Amino acid sequence: MDLTLSADQRALQVGLRDVLADLWRAEHLREAAAGAAPGTKDWSRIAELGVFGVTVPEAEDGMGLGLADAAVLFEELGAALVPGPLVPTALAAGRVAGTIDGSAIVTMLDLRAPVLLVEHLDLATHVVAVDADGLRLLPADALAATPVQTPLDPLTPLWSVSGGGRDLGERIGSAAEVADWMRRGAVLNSALQVGVARGALDLAVRYALERIQFDRVIGGFQAVKHLLADSLVRVDVARAAVLVAALTVDDPQVAEATEAAEAVAAAKVLADEAATLGGRSGLQVHGGMGFTWEVLAHLYLKRAWVLETSFGSADEHAAFLATRVSAVSAVSGVSASG
Amino acid sequence: MDLRLRPAEQEFRNRLRGWLAETVPGLPPRPPGDDWSARRRYDTGWQRTLHDAGYAGVDWPSEHGGLGATPTEQLIYLEESAAARAPYIGANFVGLLHAGPTLIVEGTDAQRTQHLPRILRGDEVWCQGFSEPDAGSDLASLRTAAVRDGDHYVVNGRKVWTSMAQIADYCELLVRTDPDAPKHRGISWLILPMDTPGVQVRPLLTAAGSSEFSELILDDVRVPVANLVGAENDGWRVAMVTFSFERGTAFIGDVIESRNILGEIADIARSTPAPGGGTLWDDAALRRDVGRLAADVRGLWALIGKNVSEASAGLVPVQGASVFKLRFTESRQKIGDLAAHVLGRAALAVSDVPGVVGGRNGHLVEDRITTLAWTIAAGTSQIQKNILAERSLGLPKEPRWTSR
Repeated sequence: MDLTLSADQRALQVGLRDVLADLWRAEHLREAAAGAAPGTKDWSRIAELGVFGVTVPEAEDGMGLGLADAAVLFEELGAALVPGPLVPTALAAGRVAGTIDGSAIVTMLDLRAPVLLVEHLDLATHVVAVDADGLRLLPADALAATPVQTPLDPLTPLWSVSGGGRDLGERIGSAAEVADWMRRGAVLNSALQVGVARGALDLAVRYALERIQFDRVIGGFQAVKHLLADSLVRVDVARAAVLVAALTVDDPQVAEATEAAEAVAAAKVLADEAATLGGRSGLQVHGGMGFTWEVLAHLYLKRAWVLETSFGSADEHAAFLATRVSAVSAVSGVSASG
Repeated sequence: MDLRLRPAEQEFRNRLRGWLAETVPGLPPRPPGDDWSARRRYDTGWQRTLHDAGYAGVDWPSEHGGLGATPTEQLIYLEESAAARAPYIGANFVGLLHAGPTLIVEGTDAQRTQHLPRILRGDEVWCQGFSEPDAGSDLASLRTAAVRDGDHYVVNGRKVWTSMAQIADYCELLVRTDPDAPKHRGISWLILPMDTPGVQVRPLLTAAGSSEFSELILDDVRVPVANLVGAENDGWRVAMVTFSFERGTAFIGDVIESRNILGEIADIARSTPAPGGGTLWDDAALRRDVGRLAADVRGLWALIGKNVSEASAGLVPVQGASVFKLRFTESRQKIGDLAAHVLGRAALAVSDVPGVVGGRNGHLVEDRITTLAWTIAAGTSQIQKNILAERSLGLPKEPRWTSR
């Protein structure tokens, strides 16, 4: 058993972090939040780093790595608040040509939701429509959709779908593959949330070390220190859960399919919690400035609120976990190797 | 990154699981909580059984009689022991997890020869004399004085929260040997034989109604200078060595117990009638709470895996230990509250009462009370948060309010 990052993973992580620090500086995020939506040029630069083809075999131009490697990279994308349909595009890689090099951008429409909203339809070339009976792929312009005038997260533009999703397009996955799509998607989505939580925490810590009140930096007050320590605890617990979920999903030796489902559900619950509570604390630590458009704290919280609605809410995952809780079955299954 | 065990680790697990399955069912019943001499016999008897089977001192290096197990094997040991509901480390806790490992690192050859084999065999029980009535979180302000008199120290003072004091043979004792030095630099770590004249043990009743803890009154107690561990006035550093053992793996079995308790709560809810018909389990809010706590348990187990992996790589998971303790203790207290919710008025009885599904309310209620101590002992949650904020996040240290 080894849950530390390998040298290769660390190199990938640092490489991506460096590029993102350059590509997604605070000014760029602010411009994007002011309405200058990020374009396909930014998308290509991210795709060049290989993030969409991490788990695709090398023979198909991917990296041939595991879901845990992808999770490590998606945490970085989350921490940098990179906008776009990152998770659906990564899930579609290997099924939809052009996703790995960035020429195809895939967003997702979950037809099981009572309200049909799709993200980033302007950026996307394709939409994967998810229904109980399978996955279908359609061109982005095949959807009858109208833009939502004011999206919650300025970096996550939305379209309201009035029709076209249900019967159009080419079938690319069976009902069984829907479960796999949702499971792997929940892992990557949770990895983004861990990144969002970490990014919000880093921003708040920096501010707490600069902002002076009562002749001291506010980071010296225990009330502030403890708020931030709580965020750190949630980030670390969620990150460990996400990595274990990714490894469990990839492990062919996991005897019970439900073991992977439980690991993923726990990861989503913990990652959503880390991002939403951490985003809120991050905003709180910024005081009045935290409530302004200019300070980025609100963008972390809003992204957390977007991501918590994707790939199953924490409540849905918790309800599933509850069905598996019983003293009768509690003897094995604590560790994947048990 | 890999979740799988190595073949040798899997073999270790299989052998241990087989031995526990043979051994645990034949054990005598556990003695009642406050029969301390019976508890000593039971706990040290189990230690002797472990010793004779070659499982004593799993985490101790083999050159000192331990098993020299890898961190992953230690995890397996604790996991399998909890799953088999083997006896808890109990009275052997301080000897095996604090004093022994401290002597291994800091003790003289004579100290090691005298104590280590006896701790491993269950012949020697230790207690801890660190905290004082006026030195809790601010441990370094301790005042129990040790004054040199020839080849002895004469010790006077009071210690508190000393578990198992009434049945211990030795106490790891922190004393002040230089009252004029800055507070961290005048402390020494002594081995106190509990039968020394002047040692008085005064049991304290806990909120759980147990006399687990005692107060130690030390009145002109003469301790040989040969019992000094580490250098005189270097005891704070030695104590930090002791704490580094405390924060590692002590809670692993308790996470498994969290999961077991949560399972019991769910089972009780599934068969307890709800006032308006159906069962308590029909309440979606209750199921959501259970599911969220189940996620906690899984997250904590993942975190243990990460901490153990860091230890295997030769790192000390300092941040991981504080993160784990904070989340685990908070989560277990929530589980206790949920148990009380499901038990309803049966949560008012620490002993079993008729009418509860499965008839086992008592241990759930007792656990709810006992675990109140967990956010306080071994570094309160507030101290842990200071540690994380300062060491991991780089926020300013707490101001030093005391002059020393």
